[in-house]
Amino acid sequence: MGNGSDAADLSQDTFLRVLASSQRIADLQEPRAYLATVGKRLLANFYKRRSLEQAYLDALMLLPEESVPSPEQRWLLLEALQALDELLDGLPVAVRRAFLWSQLEGLGYAEIAERLQVSERTIKRYMAQAYEHCLLVEW
Amino acid sequence: MESGAASDRDRANLQHWRDSHPSHEHAWQKAQLLRQRFAELPSTLAMASLDRPQASRRKVLKRAVGAVALVPAAWLISRQLPVDVWRADLRTATGEGKTVQLADGSSLQLNTASAVDIDMQNRRLTLVEGEIALNVPGISPLTVQTHFGQVVVSQGQVCVRQRQTGCRVSVLKGAVQLQPLRGPVFSLRAGQQVSLLVAGAGAVEPFDVLAPGWRDGVLMAQNQPLGDFLRELSSYRPGVLRWEPALESLRVTGSFRLEDTDRILSLLAASLPLEVHRRTRYWVTLVPRKNIA
Repeated sequence: MGNGSDAADLSQDTFLRVLASSQRIADLQEPRAYLATVGKRLLANFYKRRSLEQAYLDALMLLPEESVPSPEQRWLLLEALQALDELLDGLPVAVRRAFLWSQLEGLGYAEIAERLQVSERTIKRYMAQAYEHCLLVEW
Repeated sequence: MESGAASDRDRANLQHWRDSHPSHEHAWQKAQLLRQRFAELPSTLAMASLDRPQASRRKVLKRAVGAVALVPAAWLISRQLPVDVWRADLRTATGEGKTVQLADGSSLQLNTASAVDIDMQNRRLTLVEGEIALNVPGISPLTVQTHFGQVVVSQGQVCVRQRQTGCRVSVLKGAVQLQPLRGPVFSLRAGQQVSLLVAGAGAVEPFDVLAPGWRDGVLMAQNQPLGDFLRELSSYRPGVLRWEPALESLRVTGSFRLEDTDRILSLLAASLPLEVHRRTRYWVTLVPRKNIA
């Protein structure tokens, strides 16, 4: 996996998730299969997290030197982005983009509709879907 | 409301909806909170980070099997992002160590957050950043180039640690030749260490070659001021480690395993009058422990 501490992070995570889950290991028919499933899910999360970090770093690298935030700010920002990334997880691509354009760039529905080549009514639907998705999560 | 085309009637309808049931108001408040979280972000950075292709689960897992090594984020985020470090041949993340075998049988070990360029044709390693341990079996000399001079290793083992102000060279085995930025070339033997500075070489000092250190995954302190210890420890931790000035002069003694720096902090809290406040995963502050009379 290319990074020892990440691997340790992952397996500890897996172990903790298994502990926390309500199913007793002894009751499971196939305990090893269960662990493999939990592991796979965490691996997917892991790579999702990595792809966010990578995108974030690439964006940081492109900033002119004066605009680069301080190390503390960079960390705080990464955490804020991770939380939002998790929140948005599961939304279809078009919905996600529409929502991000609205929230981050302040675009109106007309312009978003133009960009995505769909009707404004569709954008309205997307926004409602995005909000519903995010608000349903406990945070 | 965000559409860019809300009318007065829309606003009136919204108010009515909000007033009609507490859960509506709750939902509205939550939505406002969500909008605020987005509004607080620098939009270009956030857009670039969040608006990326979402790999399907299956694709993600497929990729996982033959994992591609991505640049470790933890390392880069704390740094000044200099391009030469980004592009170095060999890098370690914050908290990562790496050992490689070079083509001539030499072995090179990198400490946390280090970067090295390797040019075997010219028998030269450039220590771009951080700390290395180099073991040369003796077939042909290797030169370590640093910002503060050169270290030529013909046969032996040496540690080279580069910081902003200077470069410390410690000889573990054999002997090395040093060429500082100013002053003559000189030799250093096993058990000796010296700092190379902008002004030239400092005084040669003895050190204990057998004492365990980063190469063994250990951080040792012998009645060391806590401030110094924490500054060293933070180079092994992704994120920000802060502590109150009052804690600077407390003394630490011990031998700590570097693989779990959180545990080191807990050990410090257990043996010293301080508390560890973990604000977030990447933001930890140490404060003096409040005595409850």
